[in-house]
Amino acid sequence: MTFLERDPLAPQAWFGNLPAAHRYTYGLAGERFFRALKDEGKILGSYCPKCDRTYVPATAFCERCLGELTDWRDMGLVGELHTFTVLYVDVEGRPLETPQIVGLVSFGDGGIVHFLHADPESLVIGMPMRAVLKPPHERQGSILDIQYFEPFQA
Amino acid sequence: MSDRVAIVGVGWSGFRPKTPDLSYKELMYEAAVRAYADAGVDPRRDVDSFVTVAEDFIEGTSIFDEYVPDQLGAALKPVHTITGDGLHGLATGVMLIRSGIARVVVVEGHSKASNLLTPDTILAYAQDPVLNRPLRLNTHFVAGMEMHRYLYESGTTREQCAAVVVKNRRNALRNPLAAYGADLSLEEVLFGPPLAWPLGKRETAATTDGAIVMVLAAEEVARALRQDPIWIRGIGWCNDSPSLESREWGNLPYIQEAAQMAYQQAGLRDPWNEVDVAEIDDTYAYKELQTLEALGFCGYGEAGSLLESGAFDLDGELPVNPSGGSLGVGHMLDATGLMRTLEAVFQLRGEAGAHQVEGAEVALVQSWRGVPTTSGAVAILSN
Repeated sequence: MTFLERDPLAPQAWFGNLPAAHRYTYGLAGERFFRALKDEGKILGSYCPKCDRTYVPATAFCERCLGELTDWRDMGLVGELHTFTVLYVDVEGRPLETPQIVGLVSFGDGGIVHFLHADPESLVIGMPMRAVLKPPHERQGSILDIQYFEPFQA
Repeated sequence: MSDRVAIVGVGWSGFRPKTPDLSYKELMYEAAVRAYADAGVDPRRDVDSFVTVAEDFIEGTSIFDEYVPDQLGAALKPVHTITGDGLHGLATGVMLIRSGIARVVVVEGHSKASNLLTPDTILAYAQDPVLNRPLRLNTHFVAGMEMHRYLYESGTTREQCAAVVVKNRRNALRNPLAAYGADLSLEEVLFGPPLAWPLGKRETAATTDGAIVMVLAAEEVARALRQDPIWIRGIGWCNDSPSLESREWGNLPYIQEAAQMAYQQAGLRDPWNEVDVAEIDDTYAYKELQTLEALGFCGYGEAGSLLESGAFDLDGELPVNPSGGSLGVGHMLDATGLMRTLEAVFQLRGEAGAHQVEGAEVALVQSWRGVPTTSGAVAILSN
């Protein structure tokens, strides 16, 4: 039977969904990273002396040599704009009334993906960007403890 | 025993942007019956093992591999599903044959994308749940950021990316399986609706429904079944770190690695001179240029001007995506690699009709699993 031969009044489909909820364990490195962000307002990285790479956010192991990482470092709050985009649709694909500016701000050999607060015309790859954190009492130990990044002038 | 593996039969159902009349099982059934007739095999008697590619969240069914045997003729036979692109499925088929476990293997992939009522939400679940997903961003942001960094590092222009769309959708006008054939101007692409600047919506492939089934066989079986088997001369695959924070943004090292793996098996040294036709990723227009460079067809930052010179046109030096690619045919989710392989088989058999590349003897097929992944595969086929 082809589409044109079908009975348009015949029942066509059943509608269903897949509700799913989950707990995502931070792990040892994640707990320490988010505790430092929440309590001390710091972005931490972990350094691999063998590969000379600094992972941000800090990880417990080096993805290159699989060595355990124990050298934790305070990366400061100012990183470098590696790339960015202006996003015109929301997470469900609907048009956004106000486009979102999103970027990767690099720290060490890693970085943080987050919102950027700036006129997109003023943003240039390579410029310094500073993390603006929530006030200490509002932080919960998540990536949302960072509100956004903004251009930084030393 | 020879360790050569050939594609001896292909079948497809669709492709159409919507298939309200057929269930996914009927799509698969139609493609399977066609492939078995093309190969001249009885699946119940002749096929030793079956491989399908599917993702539970996209199918809307947990443990989806339970639902594949019946429509393929695979009940009470060795069968398994892998969560990968169709080229990963093809690689699995090659391994089954080269290891001696099977002599005839069936590989299947399908897309029922039109049944996904919340596709962007499902894709967002592929983002890192702790570092990225709390921002509640549409996953296309990854493509926008990658395109921006690629343009910055390589010197490629937005116009050159838009020209990929113009080429591929024009090619699609010659392909009866392609849903999105169109004769667009560069301006219509460049000044179309934005999606994730610098990426525009018209530079992003829309989805289509369909199914593809391929029958693979060991050399002696292949030669007994048909005069014109298509040989899988090399197949490679690779993943980079999934982390958005530590991956490379301007380059595609995982495609370089997958290509080297495939080239080594095929004994391919000079892709530009040895490959006659390429079907490669164009989920987003810039990916076609970035991928051509990663595959070693040209130097970094050179693909854009080669494209403008017509080198990748249907009658150019290296026709790229003569089918119309994902931009012209429509994106088929994890069946995409098999859609491209199907086109390569048509080309190598001389059955591509109005988009035939004259005298094609060696084809390259490459696929990427889309944002936010760094998962890709490459295959070299010949007639």
